[in-house]
Amino acid sequence: MLFRRITLGILLLLYTLVLAEAYFRVFDPQALMPRYITSTPWGVRGNIPNARYWNHTPEVDVEYRINNQGLRADRSIPLHKPPGTCRVAVFGDSFFFGIELQLPETFEGQLERRLREAGFRAEVLNFSVGGFGTAEMLQNFTGFGQQFEPDVVIFSWDDSDVQDNVRSGLFRLNDGQLQPADSKYLPGVKTSDWLMRFRLYRAIADHSEFYSFIREKAGLLIKRQIWKSGKSSPNSAPVEQTNIGGEAAEEESNAEKKRAALELSSALLLRAHDVVSAQGADFYVVEIPYKLSRVRVRPSVNALSSDVQSHIKVVGTSAALNKAARPDLKLYFETGQGHLTPVGVGILVDETMKKLHSSPQLAACAAPPLQ
Amino acid sequence: MLFNSGIFALFFAAFLPLYLLCRRHVTARNLLLILASYVFYGWWDPRFLILVAVSTAVDYVAALGAAGKPVRTVDLLKSGAFLLAVTLASLAFAAADIWLLVPVGAGMLVLAAVIRLILRTDGPARNKYWLLLSLTTNLGILAFFKYCNFFVGSIVAVLTDLGIDAHAQRFSIILPVGLSFYTFQAISRTIDSYQRRFEPQYSIVNYAAFHAFFPQLVAGPIERAGHLMPQFESVRPFDGRLLASGALLFLWGLYQKIVIADNVARIADSLFTAPGGQSGGATLAGVLAFAVQIYCDFCGYSNMARGLARILGFDLMINFNLPYFARTPAEFWQRWHISLSRWLRDYLYISLGGNRGGRMKMYRNLMITMLLGGLWHGASWTFVAWGGFHGAIQVAYRALGIDTRIEGSRFASASGFTIQVASWFVTMTLVCIGWILFRAHTFDDAVAILRNLFATTGYTTAQFSGLWGYTAPLMLIEGFQRVSGRPEILMVGPFLLRYTLTVILVLTLFAFSVHGSHEFIYFDF
Repeated sequence: MLFRRITLGILLLLYTLVLAEAYFRVFDPQALMPRYITSTPWGVRGNIPNARYWNHTPEVDVEYRINNQGLRADRSIPLHKPPGTCRVAVFGDSFFFGIELQLPETFEGQLERRLREAGFRAEVLNFSVGGFGTAEMLQNFTGFGQQFEPDVVIFSWDDSDVQDNVRSGLFRLNDGQLQPADSKYLPGVKTSDWLMRFRLYRAIADHSEFYSFIREKAGLLIKRQIWKSGKSSPNSAPVEQTNIGGEAAEEESNAEKKRAALELSSALLLRAHDVVSAQGADFYVVEIPYKLSRVRVRPSVNALSSDVQSHIKVVGTSAALNKAARPDLKLYFETGQGHLTPVGVGILVDETMKKLHSSPQLAACAAPPLQ
Repeated sequence: MLFNSGIFALFFAAFLPLYLLCRRHVTARNLLLILASYVFYGWWDPRFLILVAVSTAVDYVAALGAAGKPVRTVDLLKSGAFLLAVTLASLAFAAADIWLLVPVGAGMLVLAAVIRLILRTDGPARNKYWLLLSLTTNLGILAFFKYCNFFVGSIVAVLTDLGIDAHAQRFSIILPVGLSFYTFQAISRTIDSYQRRFEPQYSIVNYAAFHAFFPQLVAGPIERAGHLMPQFESVRPFDGRLLASGALLFLWGLYQKIVIADNVARIADSLFTAPGGQSGGATLAGVLAFAVQIYCDFCGYSNMARGLARILGFDLMINFNLPYFARTPAEFWQRWHISLSRWLRDYLYISLGGNRGGRMKMYRNLMITMLLGGLWHGASWTFVAWGGFHGAIQVAYRALGIDTRIEGSRFASASGFTIQVASWFVTMTLVCIGWILFRAHTFDDAVAILRNLFATTGYTTAQFSGLWGYTAPLMLIEGFQRVSGRPEILMVGPFLLRYTLTVILVLTLFAFSVHGSHEFIYFDF
């Protein structure tokens, strides 16, 4: 009797899983976006070296190749740059990692091509990791990227960085001063490392739309809960909350949290600027605007402090994207995770090139334009 | 606390095991229900628990007195102690508002004086005074918290129109959630006691649990004491069948709310927030979307309330019975928000004379009932106009004998089928026109929307695809319910079919729900 019940239970569970997979394939197709992420010795997440995986959405089928150093590249990069060549190191999240884009279509791929066409002997290295905020980019630069002797360092900036920087807990503001708070931020990496040991798990992660749905929803839920809870205070002094006044108090508390989070992000960008400049490299921040509709984007850099705007070379891209936007043109993908399309990335590259032309560091490796 | 929120899931998960522990002991179970219901309501704002307690304390003694039962000192003491205990407990969570003790204390003194006066009277007059005390208290709370600014603003507007320079301070009054529901439920119990349709008992614990029963406290159904109260005086059943069917009913209500209502709300909102300059297609899509939204929002809530109550072994009345299949406006009101329709019929329409006294009086009574029914929905003239519109079309149907002709036609014959379908179409058109008045912020907006409806532009497939996508499954299911006469289709058929449908329902809840907990429209009423 017990054996029969257990068998029936297992069969029902299998039936439910098959039904759920079929449901998502028929009614709500999911982008298959596996995460090949692991820990790094410098305390933040990194791409799994030598990983090779695919991303399928109704709009694209993309292959990702990670080199032996954890960079999205099809070759190993020597630490020392070739003589006469400049290096541009790009640090970002999934937008600059190039999710939903083939390697040549990524920001780095397009930028390298444009720099060479403009006569620079330059190589562009992709240090981006999906889900990164400014704090992790900074840690990735100091712990890893700076060894590659970059002449120009580019950080991406988008709205999600505000919360990411708070959530990571790597830095805090104490009386307006940026201070390291934790040396590590490796959310879910232990579990992921353990699961990735199993071939069955990798097969499910690579091919199951139901699993992909659960992972994305759970990730979002956890992020929101961390943001909502008092644990993610950007200051050392937590924001006081009253238990009366309901929505007004909550709104006030959220506004205060957001203001403090923006202060933290601004301080991180200024710190990144100082650290990069101390290495003798040029520092740029490239804006990734928030998509409102097919024909309109919202700037993301305006919320940053005036210090950031005046001290850092910020490549604003929202005006150019808004200018280029048309109802019949996709600047962002619409069925996957909403990253920039090759056309959208191209506009970011155009705007970046306008600033890079005046980079004193790159001037050293300028060569006559290719014939 | 919203049913469609994570915090409610935690609340219910903590509550249910405790409930099962004490469900066989009526008083302990009801004490737990009171505590849970007050936590549920107080989560929004603990200060307004005082109003729930005032209504409970007054109606506890008023119903006894209205029924002609002796109101003893001990009953008055129980009532006063309950009010005081809830006031102190709620202010413990709202220490900044400790000043509320002064008006509550003053109110208790006034009540004590009024009760003293009532107790000095004798015979049937005393019963009537008890009834008046209940009506004055509940309608007074309702008038102050819901209609104060509306009445003052309307008087000022009239005086200004007459050329009299009038100014009035607009009070900053928060409308307590569910006020219209629990006050109407309390009133109905006292009236039923007065009319000897219900015999109130002396247990304040049982009554307070009935009055604040959390599944239906904030948005109904507005239950009758004769149906629900005895359930609080007995041990309620609990078994796997009730648990399964209650959970499924809750899930179906949740689907109506977070998958259908919250998604089509975006289409409706885009019309009603900027009605001017919309194409005919966008206007029609917006109006239809609101018709679907308000139905699924409110019917969804009622189903969730019924499902939760069923899990606990309680039976709540059906509040919506496929209203969009109605063929006449009168039938629509027999199927839409049934608990309110019956309340208005029994306590207002019939009290005004009902069908007695000739056709003109009947029409007058119908119009008054519908106008006040409209006002019940919100303190705005657009709601009154909505009620008036429904009153007028019902009067027209009755005056022209359309109701009788449609009821007389047979569905089986070709002409009967045509009449039934045409009458359904006309009724739905009228209902949708009514929804424009209901949802529009101003009369100007309503007129603009009505005008845009006749524009021939914008009738594209894309305009209606979103609405159709969310509505089609509902239409299929309700069509099946209508044809089969079985309202709970998830409980029909072999196990594997039921299981598959349930899994699909759950997956749809996760896949297509709108992020965040959206409030229910009827919370504002």
